[in-house]
Amino acid sequence: MAGLKTIIVLSFILAIGFLLVILSAALFKNYLPLLVVATYVLAPVPNWLCGKAQDHDDFMAAGNSNSIVELGRFMTGFMVVMGVALPVVLAHCDLIKIPAMAMSIIGGLLIYGTIISFAMFFQEQEEF
Amino acid sequence: MSTERLFRFPKPQWLNSTNTRTGGIYLAGALFAVALFTFIDAATFSKTKNGSDIHINFVDWIPGIFSFLGMIVINSIDKTRLSADSFSYSGDNVQWKARVVLFMGFAAMAGGLAGSVTVLVLKYIVAEAEGPTLWLGVANVAANALIMLSSAILWISQNMEDDYTYNVAL
Repeated sequence: MAGLKTIIVLSFILAIGFLLVILSAALFKNYLPLLVVATYVLAPVPNWLCGKAQDHDDFMAAGNSNSIVELGRFMTGFMVVMGVALPVVLAHCDLIKIPAMAMSIIGGLLIYGTIISFAMFFQEQEEF
Repeated sequence: MSTERLFRFPKPQWLNSTNTRTGGIYLAGALFAVALFTFIDAATFSKTKNGSDIHINFVDWIPGIFSFLGMIVINSIDKTRLSADSFSYSGDNVQWKARVVLFMGFAAMAGGLAGSVTVLVLKYIVAEAEGPTLWLGVANVAANALIMLSSAILWISQNMEDDYTYNVAL
């Protein structure tokens, strides 16, 4: 039953994250910050796909040292930083305002943190 | 192994751990994103807020493209092939081929960095650009340097992997 609390807390955090991002877009009548949501939703995809694609039969490559898994990790690192860099670039070029930038960065990080926590949580469930 | 060491201090143990390798790869991806977005910032800035006559055009993109190609080439090579001739089962001159391709990769990357400095000097400093306009050139150099740094970290991380699997294989 300890998992139920985690799910409730995580869904609240996810909702707050989406709220912040949507507010950052709607308050200023400028919908460019919504790109951050797309970035963070897509961020776990490379790791997931490359984890499925890795060669389980290869003994030498066992233990996470597969090059396709590494490509997935590289893409994930890229996507996560992209989620922060995108609002900064938009704010620097005056396409969005500074408060909108801060709100979309915080909201994006909350969304991504929730997704990662959920993934870890369900992975633990699968093992038992 | 310990008696054949070249340096006085041993390689720290944490350098060979799987976690450091994973972290290094994430860090390389992050640095690459910073590099790309530094340059995209310059390009966007040139389109939106730029007050001067100097704009980003295709010339500014060329060094970045070369750096990126060099990064792909360098990190696609299987590092064990660099010493492949010491193994009996490898084919003709694999080591030599690997070194030629690697040299081309490094040349593309160094050419990208040098090209970005060239663009900075010829297009911005000679034209006496100042302030925000100079940033367009500086961002180009910074982006290429960051791609190089990202590539170096990726290379080091992959070499870590080789040491690790080597130990496991023995």
